[in-house]
Amino acid sequence: QGAQVAFGGLKHDSSLPVEIAADQLKIDQNTGLATFTGNVLIGQGTLRLGAGSVVVEYTTQGGDVQNMRASGGVTFSNGAEAAEAQSAVYAPGSGQMVLSGEVVLTQGNNALAGERLVINLSDGTGTMEGRVRTIFQTGNN
Amino acid sequence: MSAYDNPYSRFVAWSKIVLPLLALGLLSTMFLISRGFDASGVMPFAEVDVKELAREQRISAPNYSGVTSDGSAISVAASTARPDQTDRDTVNATDLRAEVETLSGMVIELSSSSGQINTRQSRAVLDGGVTVMTSSGYRITTDKITTSLSETKLATEGPVEATGPGAKLSAGRMELTQSGEAGYQLIFQNGVQMVYTPQVN
Repeated sequence: QGAQVAFGGLKHDSSLPVEIAADQLKIDQNTGLATFTGNVLIGQGTLRLGAGSVVVEYTTQGGDVQNMRASGGVTFSNGAEAAEAQSAVYAPGSGQMVLSGEVVLTQGNNALAGERLVINLSDGTGTMEGRVRTIFQTGNN
Repeated sequence: MSAYDNPYSRFVAWSKIVLPLLALGLLSTMFLISRGFDASGVMPFAEVDVKELAREQRISAPNYSGVTSDGSAISVAASTARPDQTDRDTVNATDLRAEVETLSGMVIELSSSSGQINTRQSRAVLDGGVTVMTSSGYRITTDKITTSLSETKLATEGPVEATGPGAKLSAGRMELTQSGEAGYQLIFQNGVQMVYTPQVN
């Protein structure tokens, strides 16, 4: 079963420039992959993605980024919402990000945990799947 | 000369003397009075210090070309090259240009203001500001690059800036090595910052 999550703060423009900082970058011409390793931080607009290593796969002809596979402990944040998972796949073209592996999502002071979180960045919606557990802060009165 | 009674014969007799003299005068102007012909002005001598050239054994516009072990053609050219005083196998060159054409058709052009080519270690060091242009549209600038002449192996010592189609990158160090039989690996190390603007398609 899945829980619909309003990822409100996520109106996100995926055509903004992407900034990537890392310790090392290896571009392999055979496989056409660019591998960033060593506390990688990707920023695009207000979106921040931190990971141990990120593999960027280019489309064969255009040389555009097809998807970015982050692994080694991923922290993702965009404005008020933040999420943590073991790995993530982000496709800038479609604006879809899938976090998987012990996902914990915090929105303000609500927390949501599950196995897999699919976020659609362009319209700001997300669904959390697999063993969803949620903690609501009931008001403090 | 027999005396002639009529003026016409006298005129003819006189002209037989005056006309040849006139012709002789005209002819001599060609050689005697003409302006002096200074032969030295036509061939300007180069004011190069011949002694310095001989002592220094400087080669001008040398070029070296060969094929590396993985089949990419490499050619190195310079404006001047002179053997290094200390190390016999090293040649110091100025205004160095190297071009590597890989099997996969990618052309890498390197140019730098000075460099040393060591043929025994088959290694060329380009320094004094190096610009690398690849046919895939990337332009990489750094201070010093060591490239091997026998295989495709290229490494920079210091920080490197690279700009390409839709991407800008700066890193502490760059290395290009060969991976697999025809592929290449470009490794940027010591901190990488990259700004990539997705082409809006």
